[in-house]
Amino acid sequence: MAAAETPSAALRRRDLCSRGIRLAGKMRSDVADLLDVYVERQGLDASANVAALDGVPAAAAERWGEQTESQRLLDNLAAYRAFRALLTEMLEEQRDQAGPADTALREALAAVLLQVSAFAYHLEELLRLESRGPPGEEGARPPAGPRLGLGLFERKLRGLGVLRELAQWAVRSARDLRQLSKPGPGGTAAVPAGPAESQ
Amino acid sequence: MWKNSSLCCVLALAILCLTSLICSQEIGSPGEPQNLKCIMHNLHKMICTWDVSSKGRYGQTDFCYTTSHLPPPVCIKTREKRVEIPVSESSITVSITTNSIYGAAFGTKKFAIHKKDISFVPLTPHILSLTPDFSTSTLNLKWSDNGSVFPYGLDAFWQIEILRKETMEKVTQVTYHSKLTHENTILSWNWTSDMPLECTSHYAKIRCYINVTDFVGHKDWSDWSPVEKVLGKDTEPNGSGVFPQDTVVAVGSDVTICCVHAEDQQIKRMTYGPEIYPLIHLSSRSSAIRVINASASDTSGTNVVCTLSQDEMDGTVLFVGYAPDTPQNLSCETSNFLIIKCTWKPGRPSGLYGKRRTKYSLLERISGKNVSCEVNEMNRERVCGFPVLADQKTYSFTLGVSNPIGQTESSLLVDLTQRVHPKTPEKLTVSGNSSTNVHLHWYINGSFTEIRLLCQIEISSGHSEQKLHNVSMPGGKFSTYTAQLNALHPYTKYQFRVRCSAADHFWRWSDWSRVEEHTTLEAPPARGPDVWRERSPSGSSLKIFWKPLTLSEANGKIVSHEVSCYLLDTLLEYKEVTEPSNSTEIKLGKNDCVISVVAKNHAGSSPPSKITSVELPSDNVKTERAVALGNGIYISWSSYPNVTCGYIVKWCRSSGSEPCSVDWQKFPSNTTDAVIKSALFRPGVRYNFLLYGCKSSGYQLLKNITGYMKELPPKRAPNFTVEETSSDSILVKWEDIPVEDCQGFLEGYRLSFAKGEKDALKPRLSESGNPELKVKNITDLTKKSLRILDLQGKTSYQLDLQAYTAGGVSPPNSLYVVTKEDSVGLIIAILIPVAVVVLLGVVASIFCYRKREWIKDTFYPEIPNPENSKALQFQKNICEGNKTLKTLEMNPCTPNSVEVVETQSAAPKIEDTEMMSPAADTTVPEDGSDSENENHVVVSYCPPIIEEEISNPSMDEPVGSSQVVYIDIQSMYQPQIKAEEEPEIDLVTTAGYKPQMQLPISALKIESRSATEEESDKTAGYRPQANTNAWNMDTPDSPGSVESTNENASFGSPCSINSRQFLIPPKDDEDSPKPTNTGWSFTHFFQNKPND
Repeated sequence: MAAAETPSAALRRRDLCSRGIRLAGKMRSDVADLLDVYVERQGLDASANVAALDGVPAAAAERWGEQTESQRLLDNLAAYRAFRALLTEMLEEQRDQAGPADTALREALAAVLLQVSAFAYHLEELLRLESRGPPGEEGARPPAGPRLGLGLFERKLRGLGVLRELAQWAVRSARDLRQLSKPGPGGTAAVPAGPAESQ
Repeated sequence: MWKNSSLCCVLALAILCLTSLICSQEIGSPGEPQNLKCIMHNLHKMICTWDVSSKGRYGQTDFCYTTSHLPPPVCIKTREKRVEIPVSESSITVSITTNSIYGAAFGTKKFAIHKKDISFVPLTPHILSLTPDFSTSTLNLKWSDNGSVFPYGLDAFWQIEILRKETMEKVTQVTYHSKLTHENTILSWNWTSDMPLECTSHYAKIRCYINVTDFVGHKDWSDWSPVEKVLGKDTEPNGSGVFPQDTVVAVGSDVTICCVHAEDQQIKRMTYGPEIYPLIHLSSRSSAIRVINASASDTSGTNVVCTLSQDEMDGTVLFVGYAPDTPQNLSCETSNFLIIKCTWKPGRPSGLYGKRRTKYSLLERISGKNVSCEVNEMNRERVCGFPVLADQKTYSFTLGVSNPIGQTESSLLVDLTQRVHPKTPEKLTVSGNSSTNVHLHWYINGSFTEIRLLCQIEISSGHSEQKLHNVSMPGGKFSTYTAQLNALHPYTKYQFRVRCSAADHFWRWSDWSRVEEHTTLEAPPARGPDVWRERSPSGSSLKIFWKPLTLSEANGKIVSHEVSCYLLDTLLEYKEVTEPSNSTEIKLGKNDCVISVVAKNHAGSSPPSKITSVELPSDNVKTERAVALGNGIYISWSSYPNVTCGYIVKWCRSSGSEPCSVDWQKFPSNTTDAVIKSALFRPGVRYNFLLYGCKSSGYQLLKNITGYMKELPPKRAPNFTVEETSSDSILVKWEDIPVEDCQGFLEGYRLSFAKGEKDALKPRLSESGNPELKVKNITDLTKKSLRILDLQGKTSYQLDLQAYTAGGVSPPNSLYVVTKEDSVGLIIAILIPVAVVVLLGVVASIFCYRKREWIKDTFYPEIPNPENSKALQFQKNICEGNKTLKTLEMNPCTPNSVEVVETQSAAPKIEDTEMMSPAADTTVPEDGSDSENENHVVVSYCPPIIEEEISNPSMDEPVGSSQVVYIDIQSMYQPQIKAEEEPEIDLVTTAGYKPQMQLPISALKIESRSATEEESDKTAGYRPQANTNAWNMDTPDSPGSVESTNENASFGSPCSINSRQFLIPPKDDEDSPKPTNTGWSFTHFFQNKPND
């Protein structure tokens, strides 16, 4: 696909990648700050061990180095769409539960949600550049039913898990985009990474 | 307590008696029935049981009973030892016959059953249901009271026991009371556990006691019902979690929280917030913690975390807050009769937010309408709206407040027509085509048809106070309201604004509308101007003055003044003077007329102001002083009987400089004093007032008055000069101070004087604190000079002159004057000393002449033989008195060596000695001129054995008397060490050799070179190590001066060198008299001859 890329498209892709890397870095930083505020306001232990959560996309990948460009973009897009839904849920919960003292947390959460949405849009742009376009969002929305029965403590932990995973994803996305922006042989970037890079 | 126990004792005794009674009826034969007991479960039948003493087999039993009301006995055959018989009102006689299995009777026994022998034990109750409510940790117990078998109204007591855990530990036991209603009623009882029901299993059982009041027998509790249980989560195979889940409790509560886990897990710890709590073991799968007196939690609640083995975690969130506070200051009002707005203050915050926040609802009890209130948590004052209902004036509101912890309410009954707070009037407009009237129009958003409105109009203008005008009007439905304002002032800019309220029952004003401005039209001036006139000094013209009308009098903008002059009815002169001029001049010549002044504006003319030009002659017009009073000037005058139409006080606004800006003030005829005030008056300025009297024929000047609003110190002191100066007086003259510099009525002058040189930095005399300062106060203002007397001659004086008023003293003018010298005294001072000196000279000359022989013998004997010298004899005589002192005895002395030096060669050396030795000064004779030619023979001598004897003070001898000069050892060393010579001495001292005494250089120079060398040779081998300072120390009586000390030292030390006699001065020397120290010298001798 990239072999047929025009110079202007390659330029645009590189531009999108570099901007995406910056956005991911900013997101990583903001999520780290948000995590601090979240832990403090929710009265949680920052070192609390949160098990894998249902519906939260895991940043760890088995064969990350062997993924194709499209696969990388699609995984990222799916993850950020899921995070968009998860953060929206968290924001609604906060509106429903929290008092006037939690304004800062709500604002920070809303800011990160905005960045996640922007990043998802950014990924969609990259996918459009791949001349295949982004997939529909139907499958990306996490199932909402089971979480309604969760206790408040579980929801707090879940929020912590979501933010931690989002922070991981921000790192992974930056690496993914850096991988995409590398000019591969013959103009393609779909080159398996060395063992050092595989996660 | 005691009563109960005694009651129990009585009951026990009764039971014992009953038992003994029954037992007493027993017949102990085998096979006989015994221990008949009858128990009632209800009031209709009783169950009687008995025992059979024989253990053998028996068959049917015949149970026959009879009552007093039922004579034929009723027999019941039974194979059991139990029968159920009806309850009788009277005693029952029972006969029980046991039969063998073959039908033969074993034995018969008769019993009498009295009512008191029967026990009443209710049937065991059965729990219908035990239902848990896990969210509230509440158990609901239901059972039937079986009341149908009892008469109506009996008291039933139900004892309920709650048990917990597998070991069935009793948690609580309560007694529940009910009334039996002769029907089977399902009773219900709720119990709230202090521990979540999920934590562990709970059990319940019940028994009853029915208080049958007319039953005389023993009454007892029923048996316990079978236990009902509610299983905890720890009994469920997959049950786990932390309970209670996300619950809300009140601040200060004690809360138990449990953690239920799987069988294969262990609880590592449980924390409430940041704190770890001790675990309470409930079961193998459940443990709990108990939080005592829980404090308010954060907005996100307090986390309770149960950390399990394998680092798993479970938890819950506990919200600890307050029950809602009762709303305060509930108030309801309407602003438009569409919506009723109720406000209140919420009081203490609950600390619960989001879903658990405090919720409000407004219930109107009359209509039954309920409204849920959406309130803003952030706002301290809460607001809730309720629609106005048609045809309802009175509203009974109840504000319900609830949160998960509790609820409360607050009520208010209002008549809506009395709670009207209209909205702010809008669209205010002002219209009017008049100088005094306007119309105001405004709109109020709301329907006020049921009430009257009271509106308040605020009227403001720049030159008058704010006024409020109230107007009442019927309320309208979304209407525009109109009000008319009268009695406004012409040509005035007004500001209007409006607010409204209910007229009949005032509640609150609306906010003010915005301000609307309007200026009324002009009207003719209200009155004529205040007029005065003055003839010119020549008398040919008349100047007419008028005061401008105030804004309130002018009624518009004054454009001109018409001035007319009438002689009788004849118009002599007419002038129209345009603004802003306020005076004019008319040429009248010597004529007089009546002047009329009219002010005109665009709306018309004022009434005329008239004044006559006639000025009556006045005689002997006095000038008086006015008194300053506050910020005005007080003037007074005596009443003038001829004055019929008042007084006029006229003055110039400015003092001095012309042209005078005339001002005046009129007073009625009965006035005799006035305080003239003017914003133009300045302190320290003299004002002249003229008092005129108004008579029918004209105006007459009555008095001149001068005064100050406030007197100040004079601006400067008068210029003064010194007219005349003598050796003891000064005549000073000064000038008058101009009136404008006086700044008050001058009261006098102050002349200060004291000795002093001219010095720019010197302070004023009055401030200098000079003790010799003298002050003269001159209060006679006509005096312009002063002579200051009793001064010292040829002395500089400083003079300060100051003027003073009631306001203070002016700054001084200073002069410096030097008085003349006293020549006679000077002459006397010179002549007297001269005369005395001359006289003394003459006396001395005569004395010397007469005593010349004696002087010669004494001081200049012809033969300078010491033995013949009277002076030495005199000295000897003195010394004879002290045998120890033989220094000057003229014993024969054999010189060791005599060296004769040619005088010619020695002469220059003497000069050197004189120059270098200060001692030489004392030895040079008076007629030293001779000494220049004398031949000095230096004889060095010192007796080796005998006590020292200085034979001749050779230096003092006149040269002519001897060819030799004896230089004694003392004189050789006489040159004293003076301060200025010390450095020279130091040079010697600091050389390689360090002697302990000094040899004067002059002495060495007096010697011939060979002698010096010889001496040097002599002293080379040995140097005394004596210390002259030590010697000084040894002669404590010696004078403290350096000279005298060295003199003393030099007296002994040379001898120690050459004669080796006074190496150590004798002890006696310490006490020796001064003459020893003085040694021998001519000067000393001269001093010791007082008689000569």
